[in-house]
Amino acid sequence: MANGTRVSFTNVSKRFRTPKGGWYQALSELNLDIEPGQFVALVGPTGCGKSTALTLLAGLEQPSIGNVEVNRKIVTDIDTSTGFVFQHDSTFPWMNVYNNIAAGPKFRKLLEFDSLVKSWIAKVGLTGFESNFPHQLSGGMKKRVALAQCLINEPSLLLLDEPFSALDVQTRAIMTDELMTLWETNRSTVVFVTHDLEEAIALADRVIVLTAGPARVKADFLIDLPRPRKARDIRFDKHFLEIYQGIWKVLRDEVDIAYQRQLLAPAKGNAK
Amino acid sequence: MNEDFLTEEVIKRRALISRVKIHSFQTLFAVLLIGSWQLLTDRKILDPFFYGKPSGVWTQLVTWVEHGTAIGSLWVNAWVTLYEATYGFLSGVFLGIIFGIFLGRNKTAADIFAPYIKVSNSIPRVVLGSIFTIWLGLGSISKVALAFVLVFFPVFFNAFQGTREADAKLIANARLLGATNGQVTRRVVIPSALSWITASMHVSFGFALIGAIVGEFLGAQRGLGLLIATAQGTFNPNGVYAAMLIIAIMALTAEWLITQLENRLLNWRPSQVSGLEL
Ligand SMILES: Nc1ncnc2c1ncn2[C@@H]1O[C@H](COP(=O)(O)OP(=O)(O)O)[C@@H](O)[C@H]1O
Ligand SMILES: [Mg+2]
Repeated sequence: MANGTRVSFTNVSKRFRTPKGGWYQALSELNLDIEPGQFVALVGPTGCGKSTALTLLAGLEQPSIGNVEVNRKIVTDIDTSTGFVFQHDSTFPWMNVYNNIAAGPKFRKLLEFDSLVKSWIAKVGLTGFESNFPHQLSGGMKKRVALAQCLINEPSLLLLDEPFSALDVQTRAIMTDELMTLWETNRSTVVFVTHDLEEAIALADRVIVLTAGPARVKADFLIDLPRPRKARDIRFDKHFLEIYQGIWKVLRDEVDIAYQRQLLAPAKGNAK
Repeated sequence: MNEDFLTEEVIKRRALISRVKIHSFQTLFAVLLIGSWQLLTDRKILDPFFYGKPSGVWTQLVTWVEHGTAIGSLWVNAWVTLYEATYGFLSGVFLGIIFGIFLGRNKTAADIFAPYIKVSNSIPRVVLGSIFTIWLGLGSISKVALAFVLVFFPVFFNAFQGTREADAKLIANARLLGATNGQVTRRVVIPSALSWITASMHVSFGFALIGAIVGEFLGAQRGLGLLIATAQGTFNPNGVYAAMLIIAIMALTAEWLITQLENRLLNWRPSQVSGLEL
Protein backbone atom coordinates (compact mmCIF):
# COMPACT_ATOMS: atom_id res chain seq x y z
CA MET A 1 0.00 0.00 0.00
CA ALA A 2 1.05 3.52 -0.66
CA ASN A 3 2.57 5.39 2.23
CA GLY A 4 2.11 9.10 2.50
CA THR A 5 4.76 11.51 1.40
CA ARG A 6 6.15 14.50 3.23
CA VAL A 7 5.44 17.79 1.55
CA SER A 8 6.90 21.20 2.15
CA PHE A 9 6.71 24.68 0.72
CA THR A 10 9.64 26.85 1.69
CA ASN A 11 9.36 30.53 1.02
CA VAL A 12 7.49 29.91 -2.23
CA SER A 13 6.45 32.73 -4.51
CA LYS A 14 4.92 32.30 -7.91
CA ARG A 15 4.16 34.95 -10.45
CA PHE A 16 2.60 34.74 -13.88
CA ARG A 17 2.92 36.87 -16.96
CA THR A 18 -0.31 38.75 -17.55
CA PRO A 19 -1.65 39.27 -21.08
CA LYS A 20 -0.73 42.95 -20.81
CA GLY A 21 2.91 42.06 -20.21
CA GLY A 22 2.99 42.73 -16.49
CA TRP A 23 3.26 40.23 -13.67
CA TYR A 24 0.61 38.72 -11.50
CA GLN A 25 1.71 37.48 -8.11
CA ALA A 26 -0.26 34.34 -7.25
CA LEU A 27 1.74 33.09 -4.24
CA SER A 28 3.91 35.11 -1.94
CA GLU A 29 6.29 33.58 0.59
CA LEU A 30 4.18 30.53 1.21
CA ASN A 31 5.54 28.31 3.96
CA LEU A 32 3.87 25.02 4.74
CA ASP A 33 4.92 21.59 6.01
CA ILE A 34 2.71 18.57 5.68
CA GLU A 35 3.42 15.33 7.53
CA PRO A 36 3.28 11.99 5.71
CA GLY A 37 -0.26 10.66 5.70
CA GLN A 38 -1.81 13.94 6.73
CA PHE A 39 -5.09 15.11 5.24
CA VAL A 40 -4.81 18.85 4.71
CA ALA A 41 -7.50 21.16 3.43
CA LEU A 42 -6.61 24.46 1.80
CA VAL A 43 -9.31 27.07 2.01
CA GLY A 44 -9.27 30.63 0.80
CA PRO A 45 -11.22 33.02 -1.38
CA THR A 46 -11.58 32.24 -5.10
CA GLY A 47 -8.60 33.29 -7.15
CA CYS A 48 -6.26 33.44 -4.15
CA GLY A 49 -3.83 30.86 -5.52
CA LYS A 50 -5.01 27.49 -4.24
CA SER A 51 -4.90 25.78 -7.63
CA THR A 52 -1.52 27.35 -8.28
CA ALA A 53 -0.16 25.79 -5.09
CA LEU A 54 -1.32 22.34 -6.26
CA THR A 55 0.15 22.88 -9.72
CA LEU A 56 3.55 23.48 -8.12
CA LEU A 57 3.20 20.36 -5.98
CA ALA A 58 2.36 18.28 -9.03
CA GLY A 59 5.42 19.59 -10.85
CA LEU A 60 3.37 21.14 -13.64
CA GLU A 61 4.85 24.56 -12.90
CA GLN A 62 7.99 25.71 -11.11
CA PRO A 63 8.00 28.28 -8.32
CA SER A 64 9.47 31.68 -9.20
CA ILE A 65 11.24 31.79 -5.84
CA GLY A 66 11.62 29.18 -3.11
CA ASN A 67 11.36 25.42 -3.04
CA VAL A 68 8.56 22.92 -3.19
CA GLU A 69 9.63 19.54 -1.85
CA VAL A 70 7.96 16.16 -1.94
CA ASN A 71 9.73 13.47 0.10
CA ARG A 72 12.51 15.96 0.79
CA LYS A 73 13.28 16.20 -2.91
CA ILE A 74 12.76 19.45 -4.81
CA VAL A 75 9.94 19.00 -7.29
CA THR A 76 11.23 19.65 -10.79
CA ASP A 77 8.94 17.50 -12.91
CA ILE A 78 5.80 15.41 -12.86
CA ASP A 79 5.96 12.38 -10.60
CA THR A 80 3.62 9.49 -11.32
CA SER A 81 3.16 8.66 -7.65
CA THR A 82 1.30 11.95 -7.38
CA GLY A 83 -2.37 11.92 -8.23
CA PHE A 84 -4.13 15.09 -9.32
CA VAL A 85 -7.83 15.66 -9.77
CA PHE A 86 -8.03 18.92 -11.66
CA GLN A 87 -10.56 21.61 -10.87
CA HIS A 88 -11.81 21.61 -14.45
CA ASP A 89 -12.73 18.64 -16.58
CA SER A 90 -9.64 16.68 -17.55
CA THR A 91 -11.17 13.47 -18.83
CA PHE A 92 -10.05 12.39 -22.29
CA PRO A 93 -12.93 13.20 -24.66
CA TRP A 94 -12.00 10.36 -27.07
CA MET A 95 -12.03 7.65 -24.42
CA ASN A 96 -15.22 6.18 -23.04
CA VAL A 97 -15.77 5.90 -19.29
CA TYR A 98 -14.08 2.51 -19.08
CA ASN A 99 -11.00 3.57 -21.00
CA ASN A 100 -10.74 6.86 -19.13
CA ILE A 101 -10.67 5.04 -15.82
CA ALA A 102 -8.36 2.36 -17.19
CA ALA A 103 -5.97 4.99 -18.57
CA GLY A 104 -3.52 4.87 -15.64
CA PRO A 105 -3.25 1.06 -15.47
CA LYS A 106 -2.86 0.93 -19.26
CA PHE A 107 -0.17 3.62 -19.35
CA ARG A 108 1.61 1.77 -16.56
CA LYS A 109 1.29 -1.49 -18.48
CA LEU A 110 -0.45 -3.38 -15.68
CA LEU A 111 -1.53 -6.79 -16.90
CA GLU A 112 -4.67 -7.47 -14.92
CA PHE A 113 -6.76 -4.39 -14.53
CA ASP A 114 -10.21 -5.28 -15.76
CA SER A 115 -11.70 -6.18 -12.39
CA LEU A 116 -9.98 -3.20 -10.77
CA VAL A 117 -11.44 -0.84 -13.35
CA LYS A 118 -14.88 -2.36 -12.97
CA SER A 119 -14.75 -2.04 -9.20
CA TRP A 120 -13.88 1.64 -9.55
CA ILE A 121 -16.66 2.17 -12.05
CA ALA A 122 -19.01 0.71 -9.47
CA LYS A 123 -17.54 2.78 -6.63
CA VAL A 124 -18.20 6.01 -8.46
CA GLY A 125 -21.66 4.84 -9.47
CA LEU A 126 -21.10 4.70 -13.22
CA THR A 127 -21.97 1.06 -13.86
CA GLY A 128 -23.96 0.98 -17.09
CA PHE A 129 -22.17 4.03 -18.47
CA GLU A 130 -18.92 2.22 -19.35
CA SER A 131 -19.15 2.94 -23.05
CA ASN A 132 -20.35 6.55 -22.79
CA PHE A 133 -18.01 9.24 -23.97
CA PRO A 134 -17.47 12.29 -21.71
CA HIS A 135 -19.74 14.51 -23.82
CA GLN A 136 -22.54 12.07 -23.03
CA LEU A 137 -22.10 12.57 -19.26
CA SER A 138 -23.21 15.27 -16.85
CA GLY A 139 -20.64 17.51 -15.19
CA GLY A 140 -20.89 15.54 -11.96
CA MET A 141 -20.42 12.24 -13.76
CA LYS A 142 -17.31 13.54 -15.51
CA LYS A 143 -15.95 14.59 -12.14
CA ARG A 144 -16.51 11.07 -10.82
CA VAL A 145 -14.69 9.64 -13.82
CA ALA A 146 -11.79 11.97 -13.04
CA LEU A 147 -11.77 10.85 -9.40
CA ALA A 148 -11.76 7.16 -10.27
CA GLN A 149 -9.15 7.75 -12.97
CA CYS A 150 -6.85 9.26 -10.37
CA LEU A 151 -7.59 7.09 -7.33
CA ILE A 152 -7.24 3.79 -9.19
CA ASN A 153 -3.47 4.38 -9.27
CA GLU A 154 -3.27 4.67 -5.46
CA PRO A 155 -1.13 7.79 -5.44
CA SER A 156 0.98 8.39 -2.34
CA LEU A 157 0.36 12.12 -2.68
CA LEU A 158 -3.18 13.00 -3.63
CA LEU A 159 -4.00 16.50 -4.86
CA LEU A 160 -7.69 17.25 -5.08
CA ASP A 161 -8.79 20.58 -6.51
CA GLU A 162 -12.41 21.16 -5.52
CA PRO A 163 -13.21 17.57 -6.48
CA PHE A 164 -16.78 17.60 -5.22
CA SER A 165 -17.89 21.03 -6.34
CA ALA A 166 -19.83 19.80 -9.37
CA LEU A 167 -21.58 17.01 -7.49
CA ASP A 168 -25.09 17.04 -6.12
CA VAL A 169 -25.47 16.75 -2.34
CA GLN A 170 -26.19 13.03 -2.38
CA THR A 171 -23.31 11.97 -4.62
CA ARG A 172 -21.07 14.33 -2.77
CA ALA A 173 -21.82 12.58 0.52
CA ILE A 174 -21.18 9.17 -1.01
CA MET A 175 -17.93 10.27 -2.63
CA THR A 176 -16.78 11.94 0.56
CA ASP A 177 -17.30 8.75 2.53
CA GLU A 178 -15.61 6.76 -0.21
CA LEU A 179 -12.59 9.06 -0.06
CA MET A 180 -12.48 8.82 3.75
CA THR A 181 -12.56 5.02 3.70
CA LEU A 182 -9.88 4.89 1.07
CA TRP A 183 -7.66 7.33 2.90
CA GLU A 184 -8.14 5.57 6.24
CA THR A 185 -6.88 2.35 4.67
CA ASN A 186 -3.89 3.62 2.68
CA ARG A 187 -3.03 6.86 4.50
CA SER A 188 -1.69 8.73 1.55
CA THR A 189 -0.93 12.40 2.00
CA VAL A 190 -3.89 14.44 0.79
CA VAL A 191 -3.98 18.11 -0.13
CA PHE A 192 -7.58 19.01 -0.63
CA VAL A 193 -8.63 22.37 -2.03
CA THR A 194 -12.15 23.48 -1.35
CA HIS A 195 -14.17 26.62 -0.87
CA ASP A 196 -16.56 24.73 1.38
CA LEU A 197 -15.37 25.19 4.96
CA GLU A 198 -17.75 22.56 6.35
CA GLU A 199 -16.34 20.00 3.97
CA ALA A 200 -12.80 21.02 4.87
CA ILE A 201 -13.38 20.54 8.60
CA ALA A 202 -15.31 17.31 8.17
CA LEU A 203 -12.52 15.70 6.17
CA ALA A 204 -9.20 17.14 7.21
CA ASP A 205 -6.64 16.83 9.99
CA ARG A 206 -5.60 20.39 9.30
CA VAL A 207 -7.32 23.33 7.71
CA ILE A 208 -5.02 25.97 6.25
CA VAL A 209 -6.54 29.35 5.59
CA LEU A 210 -4.85 31.25 2.78
CA THR A 211 -4.92 35.00 2.35
CA ALA A 212 -6.67 36.72 -0.51
CA GLY A 213 -4.18 36.65 -3.40
CA PRO A 214 -1.23 36.54 -3.39
CA ALA A 215 -1.69 33.55 -1.11
CA ARG A 216 0.24 33.17 2.11
CA VAL A 217 -0.68 31.00 5.06
CA LYS A 218 -2.98 33.13 7.17
CA ALA A 219 -3.85 30.55 9.81
CA ASP A 220 -3.35 26.87 10.45
CA PHE A 221 -5.96 24.90 12.40
CA LEU A 222 -5.59 21.38 13.74
CA ILE A 223 -8.92 19.57 13.61
CA ASP A 224 -9.11 17.28 16.61
CA LEU A 225 -12.43 15.65 15.77
CA PRO A 226 -12.22 11.90 16.42
CA ARG A 227 -11.86 9.43 13.57
CA PRO A 228 -13.30 7.53 11.85
CA ARG A 229 -15.65 10.34 10.96
CA LYS A 230 -18.90 10.18 9.11
CA ALA A 231 -18.78 13.39 7.15
CA ARG A 232 -22.55 13.41 6.82
CA ASP A 233 -23.28 13.48 10.54
CA ILE A 234 -20.34 15.35 11.93
CA ARG A 235 -21.56 18.79 10.95
CA PHE A 236 -24.19 18.61 13.70
CA ASP A 237 -21.54 17.94 16.34
CA LYS A 238 -21.17 20.73 18.90
CA HIS A 239 -17.38 20.79 18.76
CA PHE A 240 -17.59 20.92 14.98
CA LEU A 241 -19.59 24.13 15.20
CA GLU A 242 -17.06 25.69 17.55
CA ILE A 243 -14.23 24.88 15.17
CA TYR A 244 -16.26 26.18 12.26
CA GLN A 245 -16.90 29.49 13.93
CA GLY A 246 -13.25 29.86 14.89
CA ILE A 247 -12.03 29.31 11.34
CA TRP A 248 -14.81 31.26 9.67
CA LYS A 249 -13.90 34.35 11.68
CA VAL A 250 -10.44 34.25 10.08
CA LEU A 251 -11.56 33.22 6.64
CA ARG A 252 -14.31 35.81 6.46
CA ASP A 253 -11.86 38.71 6.49
CA GLU A 254 -10.01 37.27 3.50
CA VAL A 255 -13.23 36.54 1.65
CA ASP A 256 -14.30 40.15 2.28
CA ILE A 257 -11.02 41.48 0.94
CA ALA A 258 -11.32 39.34 -2.20
CA TYR A 259 -14.95 40.39 -2.63
CA GLN A 260 -14.12 44.08 -2.29
CA ARG A 261 -11.47 43.70 -4.98
CA GLN A 262 -13.95 42.01 -7.26
CA LEU A 263 -16.34 44.89 -6.82
CA LEU A 264 -13.59 47.37 -7.63
CA ALA A 265 -12.23 45.52 -10.65
CA PRO A 266 -15.18 46.11 -13.02
CA ALA A 267 -15.43 49.73 -11.81
CA LYS A 268 -11.85 50.28 -12.94
CA GLY A 269 -12.73 48.73 -16.29
CA ASN A 270 -15.71 51.02 -16.75
CA ALA A 271 -13.74 54.16 -15.99
CA LYS A 272 -11.75 53.63 -19.21
CA MET B 1 -48.44 16.19 -20.38
CA ASN B 2 -46.97 13.08 -21.91
CA GLU B 3 -48.26 13.93 -25.37
CA ASP B 4 -45.80 16.83 -25.41
CA PHE B 5 -42.83 14.52 -25.62
CA LEU B 6 -41.48 13.99 -29.09
CA THR B 7 -41.45 10.34 -29.91
CA GLU B 8 -38.65 8.85 -31.97
CA GLU B 9 -41.08 8.46 -34.86
CA VAL B 10 -42.16 12.08 -34.88
CA ILE B 11 -38.55 13.23 -34.81
CA LYS B 12 -37.65 10.88 -37.65
CA ARG B 13 -40.64 11.98 -39.72
CA ARG B 14 -39.80 15.64 -39.27
CA ALA B 15 -36.22 15.00 -40.29
CA LEU B 16 -37.41 13.11 -43.35
CA ILE B 17 -39.81 15.88 -44.36
CA SER B 18 -37.11 18.53 -44.09
CA ARG B 19 -34.69 16.33 -46.06
CA VAL B 20 -37.22 15.79 -48.83
CA LYS B 21 -37.88 19.53 -48.95
CA ILE B 22 -34.19 20.35 -49.23
CA HIS B 23 -33.58 17.70 -51.88
CA SER B 24 -36.53 18.90 -53.97
CA PHE B 25 -35.22 22.45 -53.95
CA GLN B 26 -31.76 21.22 -54.84
CA THR B 27 -33.14 19.23 -57.77
CA LEU B 28 -35.26 22.16 -58.88
CA PHE B 29 -32.23 24.42 -58.84
CA ALA B 30 -30.19 21.98 -60.95
CA VAL B 31 -33.02 21.56 -63.45
CA LEU B 32 -33.38 25.32 -63.75
CA LEU B 33 -29.67 25.83 -64.22
CA ILE B 34 -29.10 23.07 -66.76
CA GLY B 35 -32.46 23.72 -68.43
CA SER B 36 -31.75 27.40 -69.00
CA TRP B 37 -28.27 26.59 -70.27
CA GLN B 38 -29.79 24.13 -72.75
CA LEU B 39 -32.51 26.62 -73.72
CA LEU B 40 -30.13 29.54 -74.19
CA THR B 41 -27.77 27.53 -76.38
CA ASP B 42 -30.64 25.95 -78.35
CA ARG B 43 -31.97 29.40 -79.12
CA LYS B 44 -28.43 30.54 -79.99
CA ILE B 45 -28.60 33.29 -77.38
CA LEU B 46 -25.39 31.71 -76.12
CA ASP B 47 -23.21 30.36 -78.89
CA PRO B 48 -22.88 26.59 -78.34
CA PHE B 49 -19.61 26.70 -80.26
CA PHE B 50 -18.07 28.50 -77.31
CA TYR B 51 -20.31 27.52 -74.44
CA GLY B 52 -21.18 23.93 -75.29
CA LYS B 53 -24.53 22.59 -74.22
CA PRO B 54 -25.80 19.98 -71.77
CA SER B 55 -27.08 17.62 -74.44
CA GLY B 56 -23.74 17.95 -76.20
CA VAL B 57 -21.89 17.07 -73.00
CA TRP B 58 -24.04 14.00 -72.67
CA THR B 59 -23.44 12.95 -76.28
CA GLN B 60 -19.73 13.46 -75.74
CA LEU B 61 -19.76 11.20 -72.68
CA VAL B 62 -21.67 8.51 -74.56
CA THR B 63 -19.22 8.71 -77.45
CA TRP B 64 -16.25 8.43 -75.11
CA VAL B 65 -17.74 5.45 -73.34
CA GLU B 66 -18.73 3.67 -76.56
CA HIS B 67 -15.84 4.55 -78.88
CA GLY B 68 -13.08 5.77 -76.61
CA THR B 69 -11.43 9.20 -76.76
CA ALA B 70 -8.90 10.72 -79.11
CA ILE B 71 -6.17 9.61 -76.71
CA GLY B 72 -7.45 6.11 -75.99
CA SER B 73 -9.99 4.46 -73.74
CA LEU B 74 -11.86 6.77 -71.37
CA TRP B 75 -11.44 4.33 -68.52
CA VAL B 76 -7.70 4.12 -68.89
CA ASN B 77 -7.41 7.90 -68.90
CA ALA B 78 -9.71 8.35 -65.92
CA TRP B 79 -7.88 5.61 -64.06
CA VAL B 80 -4.48 7.20 -64.69
CA THR B 81 -5.63 10.52 -63.25
CA LEU B 82 -7.34 8.83 -60.33
CA TYR B 83 -4.33 6.85 -59.30
CA GLU B 84 -1.93 9.76 -59.73
CA ALA B 85 -4.17 11.82 -57.46
CA THR B 86 -4.64 8.98 -54.99
CA TYR B 87 -0.93 8.22 -54.69
CA GLY B 88 -0.16 11.90 -54.28
CA PHE B 89 -2.93 12.22 -51.72
CA LEU B 90 -1.96 9.19 -49.65
CA SER B 91 1.76 9.97 -49.59
CA GLY B 92 1.09 13.66 -48.87
CA VAL B 93 -1.32 12.89 -46.05
CA PHE B 94 0.97 10.27 -44.56
CA LEU B 95 4.14 12.35 -44.57
CA GLY B 96 2.21 15.52 -43.66
CA ILE B 97 0.87 13.85 -40.54
CA ILE B 98 4.22 12.35 -39.58
CA PHE B 99 6.15 15.60 -40.01
CA GLY B 100 3.39 17.72 -38.50
CA ILE B 101 3.18 15.66 -35.36
CA PHE B 102 6.94 15.27 -35.09
CA LEU B 103 7.63 18.99 -35.36
CA GLY B 104 4.57 19.82 -33.25
CA ARG B 105 5.91 17.67 -30.42
CA ASN B 106 9.53 18.69 -30.80
CA LYS B 107 10.14 22.39 -30.24
CA THR B 108 13.84 22.32 -31.14
CA ALA B 109 13.22 20.51 -34.43
CA ALA B 110 10.38 22.92 -35.21
CA ASP B 111 12.64 25.92 -34.61
CA ILE B 112 15.37 24.45 -36.83
CA PHE B 113 13.04 23.62 -39.73
CA ALA B 114 10.75 26.65 -39.48
CA PRO B 115 12.58 28.85 -42.03
CA TYR B 116 12.91 26.01 -44.54
CA ILE B 117 9.22 25.20 -44.25
CA LYS B 118 8.28 28.84 -44.68
CA VAL B 119 10.43 29.18 -47.78
CA SER B 120 9.22 25.99 -49.42
CA ASN B 121 5.63 26.89 -48.60
CA SER B 122 6.03 30.29 -50.24
CA ILE B 123 7.10 28.81 -53.60
CA PRO B 124 4.08 28.83 -55.92
CA ARG B 125 3.62 25.10 -55.98
CA VAL B 126 2.02 24.69 -59.38
CA VAL B 127 5.25 26.00 -60.91
CA LEU B 128 6.97 22.99 -59.40
CA GLY B 129 4.97 20.98 -61.95
CA SER B 130 7.31 22.20 -64.68
CA ILE B 131 10.34 21.22 -62.66
CA PHE B 132 8.93 17.80 -61.92
CA THR B 133 8.16 17.24 -65.60
CA ILE B 134 11.77 18.06 -66.43
CA TRP B 135 13.16 15.93 -63.62
CA LEU B 136 10.81 13.01 -63.72
CA GLY B 137 9.59 12.95 -67.30
CA LEU B 138 6.16 12.74 -68.89
CA GLY B 139 5.07 9.64 -66.98
CA SER B 140 2.88 9.43 -63.90
CA ILE B 141 5.63 10.03 -61.36
CA SER B 142 5.87 13.74 -62.08
CA LYS B 143 2.09 14.08 -61.55
CA VAL B 144 2.19 12.12 -58.32
CA ALA B 145 5.00 14.40 -57.16
CA LEU B 146 2.99 17.54 -57.92
CA ALA B 147 -0.11 16.15 -56.20
CA PHE B 148 2.04 15.19 -53.23
CA VAL B 149 3.46 18.69 -52.87
CA LEU B 150 -0.01 20.22 -53.05
CA VAL B 151 -1.37 17.85 -50.39
CA PHE B 152 1.61 17.75 -48.07
CA PHE B 153 1.62 21.36 -46.92
CA PRO B 154 -2.00 21.82 -45.82
CA VAL B 155 -1.96 18.46 -44.03
CA PHE B 156 1.39 19.24 -42.46
CA PHE B 157 0.29 22.65 -41.20
CA ASN B 158 -2.94 21.29 -39.77
CA ALA B 159 -1.26 18.33 -38.11
CA PHE B 160 1.34 20.70 -36.67
CA GLN B 161 -1.27 23.16 -35.44
CA GLY B 162 -3.50 20.39 -34.07
CA THR B 163 -0.54 18.97 -32.17
CA ARG B 164 0.34 22.37 -30.78
CA GLU B 165 -3.24 22.99 -29.70
CA ALA B 166 -3.54 19.72 -27.80
CA ASP B 167 -4.82 20.68 -24.37
CA ALA B 168 -1.87 21.11 -22.01
CA LYS B 169 -4.03 20.00 -19.11
CA LEU B 170 -4.87 16.70 -20.81
CA ILE B 171 -1.21 16.10 -21.57
CA ALA B 172 -0.33 16.84 -17.94
CA ASN B 173 -3.08 14.51 -16.78
CA ALA B 174 -1.84 11.70 -19.00
CA ARG B 175 1.72 12.13 -17.74
CA LEU B 176 0.55 12.10 -14.13
CA LEU B 177 -1.37 8.92 -14.90
CA GLY B 178 1.91 7.36 -16.02
CA ALA B 179 2.03 7.96 -19.77
CA THR B 180 5.43 7.96 -21.48
CA ASN B 181 6.16 10.51 -24.22
CA GLY B 182 5.16 8.01 -26.87
CA GLN B 183 1.92 7.23 -25.09
CA VAL B 184 1.15 10.93 -24.75
CA THR B 185 1.65 11.28 -28.51
CA ARG B 186 -0.49 8.26 -29.39
CA ARG B 187 -3.24 8.52 -26.80
CA VAL B 188 -3.60 12.27 -26.34
CA VAL B 189 -1.90 14.33 -29.03
CA ILE B 190 -2.97 12.36 -32.09
CA PRO B 191 -6.61 12.00 -31.05
CA SER B 192 -6.88 15.68 -30.30
CA ALA B 193 -5.12 16.66 -33.56
CA LEU B 194 -7.32 14.31 -35.54
CA SER B 195 -10.13 16.75 -36.18
CA TRP B 196 -7.58 19.22 -37.57
CA ILE B 197 -6.05 16.51 -39.73
CA THR B 198 -9.33 15.23 -41.16
CA ALA B 199 -10.38 18.82 -41.84
CA SER B 200 -7.30 19.26 -44.01
CA MET B 201 -7.94 15.92 -45.75
CA HIS B 202 -11.28 17.21 -47.03
CA VAL B 203 -9.63 19.98 -49.01
CA SER B 204 -6.56 18.04 -49.98
CA PHE B 205 -8.09 15.40 -52.20
CA GLY B 206 -9.22 18.29 -54.37
CA PHE B 207 -5.63 19.56 -54.35
CA ALA B 208 -4.38 16.12 -55.34
CA LEU B 209 -6.70 16.10 -58.36
CA ILE B 210 -5.52 19.58 -59.29
CA GLY B 211 -1.94 18.36 -59.02
CA ALA B 212 -2.57 15.38 -61.29
CA ILE B 213 -4.50 17.40 -63.88
CA VAL B 214 -2.14 20.37 -63.99
CA GLY B 215 0.71 17.90 -64.31
CA GLU B 216 -1.05 16.33 -67.25
CA PHE B 217 -1.63 19.75 -68.82
CA LEU B 218 2.07 20.42 -68.62
CA GLY B 219 2.95 17.29 -70.51
CA ALA B 220 1.62 13.76 -70.45
CA GLN B 221 0.75 10.81 -72.58
CA ARG B 222 -2.50 9.96 -70.82
CA GLY B 223 -5.01 11.25 -68.27
CA LEU B 224 -8.04 13.49 -67.95
CA GLY B 225 -5.84 16.58 -67.94
CA LEU B 226 -4.51 15.64 -71.34
CA LEU B 227 -8.07 14.89 -72.45
CA ILE B 228 -9.12 18.39 -71.42
CA ALA B 229 -6.10 19.93 -73.13
CA THR B 230 -6.95 17.98 -76.30
CA ALA B 231 -10.59 19.10 -76.17
CA GLN B 232 -9.45 22.67 -75.68
CA GLY B 233 -7.12 22.38 -78.66
CA THR B 234 -9.97 21.22 -80.91
CA PHE B 235 -12.37 23.90 -79.64
CA ASN B 236 -14.63 21.31 -78.08
CA PRO B 237 -16.19 22.86 -74.94
CA ASN B 238 -18.45 19.82 -74.46
CA GLY B 239 -15.33 17.67 -74.12
CA VAL B 240 -13.96 19.99 -71.42
CA TYR B 241 -17.26 19.87 -69.50
CA ALA B 242 -17.54 16.10 -69.86
CA ALA B 243 -14.05 15.61 -68.41
CA MET B 244 -14.86 18.08 -65.65
CA LEU B 245 -17.93 16.06 -64.80
CA ILE B 246 -15.88 12.89 -64.43
CA ILE B 247 -13.39 14.71 -62.21
CA ALA B 248 -16.21 16.08 -60.08
CA ILE B 249 -17.58 12.56 -59.58
CA MET B 250 -14.15 11.40 -58.44
CA ALA B 251 -13.83 14.31 -56.02
CA LEU B 252 -17.28 13.72 -54.55
CA THR B 253 -16.65 10.01 -54.12
CA ALA B 254 -13.38 10.72 -52.35
CA GLU B 255 -15.08 13.33 -50.18
CA TRP B 256 -17.72 10.78 -49.21
CA LEU B 257 -15.04 8.22 -48.29
CA ILE B 258 -13.13 10.78 -46.24
CA THR B 259 -16.32 11.74 -44.39
CA GLN B 260 -16.95 8.07 -43.59
CA LEU B 261 -13.42 7.72 -42.28
CA GLU B 262 -13.78 10.91 -40.25
CA ASN B 263 -17.02 9.75 -38.66
CA ARG B 264 -15.33 6.46 -37.81
CA LEU B 265 -12.29 8.08 -36.24
CA LEU B 266 -14.12 10.88 -34.48
CA ASN B 267 -17.10 8.93 -33.16
CA TRP B 268 -16.39 10.36 -29.71
CA ARG B 269 -17.38 13.88 -30.71
CA PRO B 270 -20.84 15.25 -29.97
CA SER B 271 -22.82 14.69 -33.17
CA GLN B 272 -23.70 18.33 -33.82
CA VAL B 273 -20.07 19.23 -34.44
CA SER B 274 -19.47 16.42 -36.92
CA GLY B 275 -20.05 19.02 -39.55
CA LEU B 276 -22.02 20.39 -42.40
CA GLU B 277 -23.17 17.68 -44.79
CA LEU B 278 -21.52 19.07 -47.89
N1 LIG C 1 -1.10 30.40 -16.01
C1 LIG C 1 -1.50 31.57 -15.47
N2 LIG C 1 -1.21 32.73 -16.06
C2 LIG C 1 -1.59 33.91 -15.51
N3 LIG C 1 -2.30 34.02 -14.37
C3 LIG C 1 -2.62 32.90 -13.73
C4 LIG C 1 -2.27 31.60 -14.23
N4 LIG C 1 -2.76 30.66 -13.39
C5 LIG C 1 -3.38 31.34 -12.41
N5 LIG C 1 -3.31 32.68 -12.60
C6 LIG C 1 -3.86 33.71 -11.72
O1 LIG C 1 -3.44 33.44 -10.42
C7 LIG C 1 -4.49 33.66 -9.50
C8 LIG C 1 -4.72 32.44 -8.66
O2 LIG C 1 -5.31 31.45 -9.45
P1 LIG C 1 -5.75 30.04 -8.85
O3 LIG C 1 -4.57 29.40 -8.23
O4 LIG C 1 -6.41 29.29 -9.95
O5 LIG C 1 -6.83 30.46 -7.77
P2 LIG C 1 -7.80 29.56 -6.92
O6 LIG C 1 -7.46 29.85 -5.50
O7 LIG C 1 -9.19 30.02 -7.23
O8 LIG C 1 -7.59 28.14 -7.30
C9 LIG C 1 -5.71 34.06 -10.30
O9 LIG C 1 -5.88 35.46 -10.21
C10 LIG C 1 -5.36 33.67 -11.70
O10 LIG C 1 -5.92 34.58 -12.62
MG1 LIG D 1 -8.86 26.93 -8.25
